[in-house]
Amino acid sequence: MRRIVCTFVVNGVTRELLVETNALLSEVLQDDLGLKGVHVGCGTGDCGACTVLVDGLPVLSCSTLAVTVRGKEITTVEGMANGTKLHPLQESFIEHGALQCGYCTPGMLLASKRLLEINPSPSRQDIKDALAGHLCRCTGYNKIVDAVMAAAEGEE
Amino acid sequence: MFFRALRHFEFFEPKTVAEANELLLSYGHQASVMAGGLSLIQTMKTGEKKPEAVISLQKIDSLKFIDSDNDQDLKIGALATIRSIEKSREVQKHWAVLVQTARCIGSVEVRRMGTVVGNLCDGTPASDLATILIAMGAKMRVTSSGAEREVPLENFCVGPHQTVLEEGEMVREVRVPSLGDHSFASYVNLARTKPDITKVSVGVLVKNQNGACGDVRIAVGAVAPVIVRVRKAEELLRGEKLKASTIEEAARLAQEDVVVRPITDIRSNAGYRKEMVRVLVERALTDVVDKMNGAHAH
Ligand SMILES: Cc1cc2nc3c(=O)[nH]c(=O)nc-3n(C[C@H](O)[C@H](O)[C@H](O)COP(=O)(O)OP(=O)(O)OC[C@H]3O[C@@H](n4cnc5c(N)ncnc54)[C@H](O)[C@@H]3O)c2cc1C
Ligand code: FES
Ligand code: FES
Repeated sequence: MRRIVCTFVVNGVTRELLVETNALLSEVLQDDLGLKGVHVGCGTGDCGACTVLVDGLPVLSCSTLAVTVRGKEITTVEGMANGTKLHPLQESFIEHGALQCGYCTPGMLLASKRLLEINPSPSRQDIKDALAGHLCRCTGYNKIVDAVMAAAEGEE
Repeated sequence: MFFRALRHFEFFEPKTVAEANELLLSYGHQASVMAGGLSLIQTMKTGEKKPEAVISLQKIDSLKFIDSDNDQDLKIGALATIRSIEKSREVQKHWAVLVQTARCIGSVEVRRMGTVVGNLCDGTPASDLATILIAMGAKMRVTSSGAEREVPLENFCVGPHQTVLEEGEMVREVRVPSLGDHSFASYVNLARTKPDITKVSVGVLVKNQNGACGDVRIAVGAVAPVIVRVRKAEELLRGEKLKASTIEEAARLAQEDVVVRPITDIRSNAGYRKEMVRVLVERALTDVVDKMNGAHAH
């Protein structure tokens, strides 16, 4: 098989597409669905920028064949805000200056979202463990950890 | 049409191992097996691999298992992820060294996507898991149409990214012998940051024989085209009490072993790596002694 009809639930909306088997998840999300918040940094699994949630779990979209996640729920950074209301993590990132160029931010936000779902009051070390492998060339990381800590405290 | 990073290929999702074996046989060396896909997709991006057919194991439910009965071998199915080893209560309890080793690997995402068997089949001499598993005497269960064979992990790789697997063969599971009450294992590695690839690693397994060292295996990773055992050091230790001076001497023998011939690359130079073999063997053996004493105190 070289093409498969796939259904994905992307940010809550069901999408049916004819997908080439050699298409990466990052390519389908960016090119076919126009979701430019999917950032590909390295393409080798090292930077975490391309992270999306598949059935709620952070996965590297640059290293996933799109056809292998058919039938699943996919969340990109575009799916975090509710209309014009930003997700508390997004608010917190802005407030704490946890982004500069913003390239790593979608991956950081989605991995943090998952972390707070399973661990609503993480320690700084828990946050560092969950975000290891998410590289940021701008912020020096401390502000990102501050932002996630604050978002967690806000939720309590 | 959009630009795609990967060339076209036929894609198969067999539901059983038998089906996978048949597909593998019909495509021969034109086929690649895909477990998590992390390494495979990278090598397809660079063009190192150009499979005509990608045979995904992901739909074979019978490969998603970790069987961990303390008295028996730990059996890790071809689809068990590194993360699932890390999270398994039984593995945490009886094979804690594997959990500790798993945590040296990449990011949470890498461990969630990558399988243990995929890590071993990838065949890099820097594999953290392969280093400790060779020390622990793990064996690969290899299947092909109508046949099954067992290959000690130690003999599984013949060069970087080269394995003994023949056309039509795949690995069904890896088996790790139980440590029981008398064996102690330790894994130590050096890496620039925790998720980064290992520069040098050492895995050790020691069987405690009335307070002395019984059977012993020392595996060293990232210092040769394949992971190696330093047999002179092992021989020195067999039957001896693990005193500090004995450990020091064994570590020196390990560093000087002819099988240890590291390269210089972006992560380290050869001289440093060689020196670190001694340091890490000493640390791993000292850790084993601590574990033996700890167990004795209970
Ligand atoms: C950013 C990053 C960091 C990493 N850091 C580390 C690290 O610190 N330490 C470490 O040890 N590893 C590290 N790795 C390697 C990682 O652990 C492996 O890429 C992963 O476990 C491979 O598993 P997979 O299921 O994705 O394999 P796949 O990519 O699916 O397969 C890998 C290879 O094995 C073959 N294969 C897979 N399963 C089978 C089978 N059942 N039978 C026969 N052949 C098979 C495939 O054909 C392919 O050639 C890292 C990887 C990345 C991307
Ligand atoms: S782009 Fe996927 S990990 Fe860097
Ligand atoms: S904000 Fe620029 S890489 Fe993180």
